[in-house]
Amino acid sequence: MTRVPPMSKPTNLVLLIDDEPKIRRFLRAGFELHGGFTVQEAEDAAEGLQAATFNAPDLIILDLALPDRRGNEVLDLIRSWSNVPIIVLSVEANEEEKVRLLEAGADDYVVKPFGIAELIARSHAALRRYFKSANENPVVVAGPLSIDLVNRTVLLNNVQIKLTRKQYRLLHVLATHLGLVVTHDQLLDDIWSASVRKNIQYLRILVRDLRQIIEPDPNHPRLLITESGVGYRLQARLEDITLA
Amino acid sequence: MPFGSEGKLWKLSWPSPRLAQASVALATSDAPPDNASRWQRQLVMNALPLAMSLLLVGIATIGLLLISPLSPANLAPVVYLIPVMVAAARWGTWPAIVAAIASAAAADFFFYPPFYSFRLDDSQSVINLLVFLLVALISGDLTSRLRREMETLRRREDELQYLYGFSRRLAFCHTVTDLTGAIQDYLSETFGQHIAFFLPASVTASQPVIGCAAPAIIRDTATSMMEPGGAPSRTIKQEAGKGLWLLRSVVSGEATHGVIAVDIGGEPRAAIGERTRRFEAILTEASQTLQRLDIGGAMQEASHRSKDQLLRDAFHGDLSHELRSPLAAIRGSASVLEAMPSIRDENRAFPLVSTITNEAERLDSFIGNLLNATRVSASDLRPHLSCADPRDIVNAAIRRRARQLAAHDVKVGFDDDLPMVNVDSALAEEACGQLLENAAKYSPPGSAISVAVSAEGGHVILSISDSGAGITAEERAQLGRRSFRGARHRDVVPGAGLGFWIASTFVEANNGSIDIVSEGQGRGTTASIILPEARIDEDDAGSADE
Repeated sequence: MTRVPPMSKPTNLVLLIDDEPKIRRFLRAGFELHGGFTVQEAEDAAEGLQAATFNAPDLIILDLALPDRRGNEVLDLIRSWSNVPIIVLSVEANEEEKVRLLEAGADDYVVKPFGIAELIARSHAALRRYFKSANENPVVVAGPLSIDLVNRTVLLNNVQIKLTRKQYRLLHVLATHLGLVVTHDQLLDDIWSASVRKNIQYLRILVRDLRQIIEPDPNHPRLLITESGVGYRLQARLEDITLA
Repeated sequence: MPFGSEGKLWKLSWPSPRLAQASVALATSDAPPDNASRWQRQLVMNALPLAMSLLLVGIATIGLLLISPLSPANLAPVVYLIPVMVAAARWGTWPAIVAAIASAAAADFFFYPPFYSFRLDDSQSVINLLVFLLVALISGDLTSRLRREMETLRRREDELQYLYGFSRRLAFCHTVTDLTGAIQDYLSETFGQHIAFFLPASVTASQPVIGCAAPAIIRDTATSMMEPGGAPSRTIKQEAGKGLWLLRSVVSGEATHGVIAVDIGGEPRAAIGERTRRFEAILTEASQTLQRLDIGGAMQEASHRSKDQLLRDAFHGDLSHELRSPLAAIRGSASVLEAMPSIRDENRAFPLVSTITNEAERLDSFIGNLLNATRVSASDLRPHLSCADPRDIVNAAIRRRARQLAAHDVKVGFDDDLPMVNVDSALAEEACGQLLENAAKYSPPGSAISVAVSAEGGHVILSISDSGAGITAEERAQLGRRSFRGARHRDVVPGAGLGFWIASTFVEANNGSIDIVSEGQGRGTTASIILPEARIDEDDAGSADE
């Protein structure tokens, strides 16, 4: 976690919008010490919107409970003119709320309380996706998997594997959001044509089948992770599982 | 407290005779300026029917005089019965008596010889007139009684109509506010706007009164009636001519649900008794209807619900935010320290920082449990059932409880070709996690906890087996009760006893069930969550795979 993946800029500017000084303090320390970021703080929505407008941050960490404005309004406002990656902090662990935020344009969410490692990993994933177009590296590496988005080939431990069209499509969408959660609805929209009735069963079965192929142990997935009630996430490297 | 079929739920009690006396006392104590107009009105109300009766007798007399050639002496008794009957039917007994006497006098004067004199010459005429008077009085009385009966019937029908509408409306009531609103609407339909419904402060603290603005004294009295041991009914008369308030407690069993106050008005005198009677009749009917509908129980439940609601709202809103914000700062700060090389390499500091992290996580999961418990007790589970992979549920549950399970050897086995389940994944995960946590709590560190997932007859079974304390028959009977903890563990194992209760409620919300099997004390426990399989249309499934 302390290693910083290469970015397109030497240091990225992160804007922290949170009204709790103690939270901002540890976020600042974490981002500066472990993420190699330059940090700017804002203590309410007004200040945050101003900083987002004038200072062009590379990443915004947005707390949903702000004193002067609802966090999701701030999200909508920023999204109306900018694609800057936004990660939302919330004490609400409710699935519908998470899906709503993701659909409103948040890149990811982290539920309080959380460890800084988790937030920095999500931040890097969001930045990676944001700078992807500039980077133009068509090969996404996720643990033992490497997915060539241009040639549509997938290598597992350097051996090419065969996937059905829909399995590839699923992997492709997740790979373009590497490390980030993708909602069920987005996956259903991207994989199935509009004429097919959306059915989460299709997705569950497709995921189960894909896991049989790409996961070292399909019963305990470490690459294609379920975010319950929300969607799926493709991990950049095999997730550590201490149990089972 | 027993409710439902056990009867005697609703008793609206009041002492009628005393109340009638109070009404009369009020009427006579009115101030003089009002008296004159009151007397005038009384006079008009009482004198008019009498005058009309006399007028009718006059008309009958004129009619008889016009047909005088046809021996009116024979016709007179029959014709004079008409005004008597009409007066009895329209205005009651007294006008009928007056009409009867006036008819007898007129017949005597005009139609019995000697004419134009009240004298009677022959005994036959005397008998004729006396018989007529008797017949007129009796039939007048019978007619007026019939009229009263009919009036009562009509009123009864109106009241029944009201009650019918009322009971239909009650069928749609789900909260205390609905219920009181229905009772209040119904009564104000009958009594105009002068009605108020007082609720105990504990139910709706901010809104102790619904209905019209009742005078302060009425509010104070109602409040005192709702206190333990308060009088079930009171009558309050306001100053001069302002009105008379009847107050009645609405009680079921031991609990007072509220007080209904009605201003039945100070005048006219006759109307007070009438309105009092009506109010009581209506409330008696209402209380019977309420009893039949078990409103007492419903109100009690609604009152419990609103208390739980307050607790839940407090917890879900501010409290969970207030508790979690400092925890987030603690957990986050510790995580920054934990990752610093200087701390990582320091053998004494690092374990301390890890302790901070672990304990903050433990506090957070405890808060999460309390949140779940308030959701369960507020019956606020709205599961979003959808298709889910049982492996995801088990893996997520294990991951979430990683810290609690760290000291145990967790083994997981999935059957091949497991079907999907139709559940709310978040609830199912939490239930599974609670059972895993219990397994870890009640079995020695280092022992194995095995999770087996299999499919059987349209269900998927998640079995969690430990080799720990086991469950005795007595403990088994008490499982599922909120806050139940086996007596032998109370001093050794920390916890609030909420786990199994939350788990079983969450599983039931998913149309599943939990089965607990234990060989007995010290011989381990197997807890199985049985979840419904998701029905998969094979054609649809095909389109997923292509």
